[in-house]
Amino acid sequence: MPISIRRLFAPLLGLLLGGASALASAEPLKIGYSDWPGWVAWEVGIEKGWFKEAGVEVSFEWFDYVASMDAFAAGQLDAVTMTNGDALVTGATGAKSVMILINDYSNGNDMVVGAPGIGSIKDLKGKKVGVEVGFVSHLLLLDGLKQNGMSESDVELVNVPTNETPQVLASGDVSAIVAWQPNSGMALKLVPGSKKIFSSADQPGLIYDVLAVSPESLAARKDDWTKVAKVWYRIVDYIKDPKTYDDAVQIMAARVGIEPDEYKSFIDGTKILTLDEAKGFFNKGEGYTSLYGSSKISDDFNVANKVYDEAQDIDSYIDPSITGAL
Amino acid sequence: MGMSRWFAVRKQLRPRERLVLGVASFLLPLLVWSLVSYVPWIWHPQVEVTDSGAVSYFKPGMLVDREVFDKELLAAREAGAAEPEGVPANPIYLPAPHQVAQAFYTAFTTEPKRRSEQWLHESLWESIQVIFWGFFLSSLFGVPLGILAGTYDLMSRLSEPFIEFFRYLPAPAFGALAVAILGIHHAPKIAIIFIGTFFQQVLVIANTTRKLDPALLEAAQTLGARRLSLLFRVVIPGIITDLYKDMRILLGWAWTYLIVAELIGTSSGITWFITQQARYKNFDNVFAAIMMIGIIGLTTDLLLAWLGRRMFPWQQAAARA
Repeated sequence: MPISIRRLFAPLLGLLLGGASALASAEPLKIGYSDWPGWVAWEVGIEKGWFKEAGVEVSFEWFDYVASMDAFAAGQLDAVTMTNGDALVTGATGAKSVMILINDYSNGNDMVVGAPGIGSIKDLKGKKVGVEVGFVSHLLLLDGLKQNGMSESDVELVNVPTNETPQVLASGDVSAIVAWQPNSGMALKLVPGSKKIFSSADQPGLIYDVLAVSPESLAARKDDWTKVAKVWYRIVDYIKDPKTYDDAVQIMAARVGIEPDEYKSFIDGTKILTLDEAKGFFNKGEGYTSLYGSSKISDDFNVANKVYDEAQDIDSYIDPSITGAL
Repeated sequence: MGMSRWFAVRKQLRPRERLVLGVASFLLPLLVWSLVSYVPWIWHPQVEVTDSGAVSYFKPGMLVDREVFDKELLAAREAGAAEPEGVPANPIYLPAPHQVAQAFYTAFTTEPKRRSEQWLHESLWESIQVIFWGFFLSSLFGVPLGILAGTYDLMSRLSEPFIEFFRYLPAPAFGALAVAILGIHHAPKIAIIFIGTFFQQVLVIANTTRKLDPALLEAAQTLGARRLSLLFRVVIPGIITDLYKDMRILLGWAWTYLIVAELIGTSSGITWFITQQARYKNFDNVFAAIMMIGIIGLTTDLLLAWLGRRMFPWQQAAARA
């Protein structure tokens, strides 16, 4: 892609002119996405040209996960793919969003990996655990401890960036790490004898992966977002259909740059939801089987861990109407 | 003669000897790398399992620490169970030279699998353009400011104290701000390279300008040179060869900011390739990509050095005199 001077200065110029054009209807919807199977799936629709067929202009931008949330917070994107918990964090710290679509929930991809000799969560009593404090992995660990009648005070947390957890486990300085794929899988590969001792498959619905849209864009262009949601369920059908599954995997694997066979295991740890399943999770309720309930648990966790100070109004973060009307 | 000729202080060796030593400077690290990779008893802290034997969690192809392997081997032997087999191996972080060479080749020949994907050389070209614009914009402002600050004390005092302060601020820290102001594509990346280069550039060039022989300036003033002609006919021609050398060094400096710059905003360029392959632990690809950057950098520098000799032939003559 050649960079012309004009393109270089266009953002500056846009800034000077007040950047007012962002919401004009002719602009493509700018969506940031990143390396998680439920979001990489969008690539199928992009590759097949389904958005154009549906009559909606979109521009998907590929990011590192944290960079994508930063860009959304900076007002550079109309929507971003995140977990429901991170949507609350991003919202509480300045960039409000509305979750309009549930891609999937983690079904084993997020896991606690024990060092050799650690066979269960109970073995972690009094031991060190490497985890990115305040993020979804931390929440998963707390849930695992709770299910085993323990609490955070039974272990010693070591704050580690998630993408460095494999090396940290290999160093032998901790007895377990908490991470999501591909880091969790790499940790298992890197440390022989290490074992998955708890995973999001033990608590489905702990982490929902969603499409979160800026309230301004949702208000101005709801019809376009409905079209985006329609394309999503066309993608889901394509992935779920055994006849086209392999082609879908090929497209997704190509996006992240690895072999399709290797990528299949990551897709298996992700429960991509059908329209009916997603509608169910959009129903209000307590606990993990509702997006509302799961988000409430995340909110409590975030406040308790001082990720932000004030409890968030969960209802304002969720708009079930687009999915509900499909 | 004898040994002492090789260690003569600040005397150049013969051209042929210099060339041979230059090649050796590359071959020596390669030799060390090859020894560590191919000689089984040097380092090789791990064992690649070829037969898992009776050990339940061993799988063929798995890398385990040698201690773990020995322990399991001993346990299997004592229990009279099938013994695991394996060959010494290095950690996944250190691929062998031939693996990296192979990855280097296949990285360029692998066709893009998606419509929106790029060939590797296109990604590299994107990175080169980011560097170019960052360095170009930095030079556009940095070179004149540096020369002015090196010539006039007024400009020096007005700019250098602040620049001295600012150059300590880490460029990557401005990433979020750059994205907020400049968007998510190339502009914020170029801005990071600019921030990383500009402040050093001003100081280095101001310093170079100050080193100009004051006798030249005095002579010109005695002969009646006015301010502007002093600057353009004496100062700039006087420092141009050193300035050119500074710029070569500073361009290398700009390259070192590429990886942090490209992590900001959308994933792009060679950095996307490096970080993604590292995430999936394909270290042969990672090292191949790092080498590409090295090769591009070195080639550019050699090219600029050659160009410099053509542009400033008098410098060569001066060096020989």
